[in-house]
Amino acid sequence: MYRYDEFDHALVSERIAEFTDQVRRRVDGRLTEDQFKPLRLMNGVYLQLHAYMLRVAVPYGTMNSAQLKKLGHIARVYDKGYGHFTTRTNIQYNWPALSDLPAILTELAEVEMHAIQTSGNCIRNVTTDVFAGATDEEIEDPRPWCEIIRQWSTIHPEFSFLPRKFKIAVIASETDRAAIRTHDVGLQIVRGENGETAFRVFVGGGQGRLPHIAQEIAPAVPGRELLAYLTAILRAYNLLGRRDNIHKARIKILVAALGIDAFREEVERQFETLRHEDLRIPDDELARIQAYFAPPPFETLPKHSGPFDRALLADPDFARWSRNNVRRHRAPGYASAIISLKPVGGVPGDMTADQMDVVAKLARRFSFDEVRAAYEQNLVLPHVKLDDLPEVWRTLHAHGLATANADLVTDVIACPGLDYCSLANARSIPVAQALSKRLADLDFQEKLGPIRVNMSGCINACGHHHVGHIGVLGVDRKGEEFYQITVGGSPDEQAALGEIVGKSLPAEDVAPAIERALNRYLAIRHEGERFIDTVRRTGAEPFREAIYEAA
Amino acid sequence: MRLLDPLPETDEPDGAIPGDTPLAEVEAAAVGANRLTIRFGAFRDGRGFSLASILRERGYGGELIAAGDLLPDQARHLKRSGFDAVRLNAGADPAEWRAMLAVIDTVYQPASDVAVPVWHRRAAVETLEQKAARLDARYRDADPETVLAAAHREFPGRIAQLSSFGAEAAVSLHLLAQVDPATPVLFLDTGQHFLQTLSYRDKLTARLGLTNVKIVLPDAAERAGEDPKNDMWRSDPDACCDLRKVRPLGRAAAAYDALITGRKRYQATTRERLAVFEVLDGQVRVNPLANLDADEVEARFDDHDLPAHPLADQATLRSVAGPAPARCGRARMPARAAGPAPTRWSAAFT
Repeated sequence: MYRYDEFDHALVSERIAEFTDQVRRRVDGRLTEDQFKPLRLMNGVYLQLHAYMLRVAVPYGTMNSAQLKKLGHIARVYDKGYGHFTTRTNIQYNWPALSDLPAILTELAEVEMHAIQTSGNCIRNVTTDVFAGATDEEIEDPRPWCEIIRQWSTIHPEFSFLPRKFKIAVIASETDRAAIRTHDVGLQIVRGENGETAFRVFVGGGQGRLPHIAQEIAPAVPGRELLAYLTAILRAYNLLGRRDNIHKARIKILVAALGIDAFREEVERQFETLRHEDLRIPDDELARIQAYFAPPPFETLPKHSGPFDRALLADPDFARWSRNNVRRHRAPGYASAIISLKPVGGVPGDMTADQMDVVAKLARRFSFDEVRAAYEQNLVLPHVKLDDLPEVWRTLHAHGLATANADLVTDVIACPGLDYCSLANARSIPVAQALSKRLADLDFQEKLGPIRVNMSGCINACGHHHVGHIGVLGVDRKGEEFYQITVGGSPDEQAALGEIVGKSLPAEDVAPAIERALNRYLAIRHEGERFIDTVRRTGAEPFREAIYEAA
Repeated sequence: MRLLDPLPETDEPDGAIPGDTPLAEVEAAAVGANRLTIRFGAFRDGRGFSLASILRERGYGGELIAAGDLLPDQARHLKRSGFDAVRLNAGADPAEWRAMLAVIDTVYQPASDVAVPVWHRRAAVETLEQKAARLDARYRDADPETVLAAAHREFPGRIAQLSSFGAEAAVSLHLLAQVDPATPVLFLDTGQHFLQTLSYRDKLTARLGLTNVKIVLPDAAERAGEDPKNDMWRSDPDACCDLRKVRPLGRAAAAYDALITGRKRYQATTRERLAVFEVLDGQVRVNPLANLDADEVEARFDDHDLPAHPLADQATLRSVAGPAPARCGRARMPARAAGPAPTRWSAAFT
């Protein structure tokens, strides 16, 4: 994975010095809260319901064991012993003291981490396929390009005060595991002319109050032109995006208002006059960055592993976990293991400091020192030998990390909701917990197969409810928490927004209503049909009926 | 980037272009103009950064001034987007603006200024001399704290301080402790120090919280072979110096790219143009105290309540510049500073 050189170190330390001074000026009153706000946001500091919140970037979700260990250390020393992994593959701390922030940032810098641009109206952490470098489906590892975009967008002089936040995701296979069509810009690596790396570019996706699926703006931008093309998009957006209404300031509104063709013309006009040669990443720099992401030294192994096969037969719990949480790997004899952060009744994405230490050790011993954060709020050990999976599982199991529900109905994506967030209308955590308890039976979950439930505590949609197969949105009805249900959303290469089934429900009715919809699916599905396939075939109607049956 | 004084209050239009003006109109206004002012309506509204960048890319060569609701924290964004100057608002503190212009030096992406993006700096391998020259140009007039912090950033994990725990060492070591007390401090133990110096070393180390003082010793075998009677300093001071200083220090210092000294410009006439970053014998020497005068050194002793060397008459020791005593050899040792010695050895490199 990428390692800082002296320049990366210098930039992060300069930024800490700057932010330390800004904190000082805020404390002594030279900066008003209004002036301080955009500055602290660009350093990942939010003011939440109860305290300041610090969001630390995990660039494209890749960490080494020292970094995860440090995240645990920060949770233990500066917070209440846990952290929360987000759908942007970042980690949030909910209780740091403002005066500790410079110290925390300094500790993070020791392991080449930072909180730069994890919030604010700037270009945010770039996300990617959690199985990058491990899956056999990809054209090439997308992470070097993520790193290039990270560097280019860091403290960008022109794009640090945009109309609104800006999110970019990159994938390199047809299967979309990074929800690129829900992003301001989604990039898919394709083969261009002469087999060179090129980017299929989508623009104008986004969730929130007015959700949009991104549209294709260019089929194959050559890799060497990528930064010029992104600059042109950002420039058009910065000049033309709305600033009069925060709810209409994202690029999706601009693209929808102009239409994709007129917006493309604006981008192309900017693209033509850019100084391309300046923005063309030098070949040796590209090679330097790619070298950091070279595949680890995999052993030559047979496809099948005796110890793994024997453990499958010996232990049904291990077998179930392997069935649900282990994914195919490009190297024979290896696999990727999903560590579910969704235990029954737990808070989705939360992890204790001790658990972080445990996973850090496993990553070092069994996964070439690599661990990934997935946007589904889970972690992944990307490169584990099949031979080692039984031991990895035993360790995870001993620390409450072996819930065998990856991509099943209790693998719920949820925002922190009204328990923490000052924007929320309703709590999302208790509703997610109630659902996970009600559907805890893993036999039932496996019978249902892959289903994604997404839960947001407000219309800002941090829990991605619009693109959940089943979405749950917290709304405020005359001071009471109610929940609106959608079905048929999808974040992947067949991205779609869910359909609202009807009027919102009180909290205690949500889990039973979803259970009825799931039972309806079991009753009407065709052979081999996943939940989302059935919804696409039948429409929302059968599920609407089931959800309101008892009401 | 220049900072312009606030304009007097007036109702007259000042000709500034509002930041929300459409690009085509801004471009039309730029044709033939030799000065343009872009007014930011709100500091959150970043359109002016794109307008300036586009004008510069399309060849506008006149003066470009930013005005309106702006924060000092946006100084470098303005500069990098191609602005030449900022019109300060009434009550703005120019010092804050200057500080913000200085704080970030490293840039990843090309923009409309002269800063060289990291990509190109990585590719163009900078020689040590070029690096020292670049840093010296940037920090020539900076205060010691800024110089030392920059040195740590530029040579992370590859920097050490040289100290003899002499008369003025406390100032330099105190500064080091403020920036990073874990920095290695190389103390050359010639075997000829007075006990007072050794106890001063331990006292100062504890008092300042230095955690990584390394004692550098002459090689025992070399010493036994070359100076068995321990009297070479009398008969051949140069050889003694080579044995006890030059070689051991050279070995210890080889692990670092940069060495911090306590040298100051005022100490000798030959140091009138002492650089804050320079290259000596293939290594960078950082002289964060180069700009301090004798009074400022004295003031630092007082301000931070630093203990004085037990053998030193401080006032005499620290202010008198003069040739090194004959028995200490000549200027062949690395990093050594001239200065009168209270003992057999000079106060050496502080």
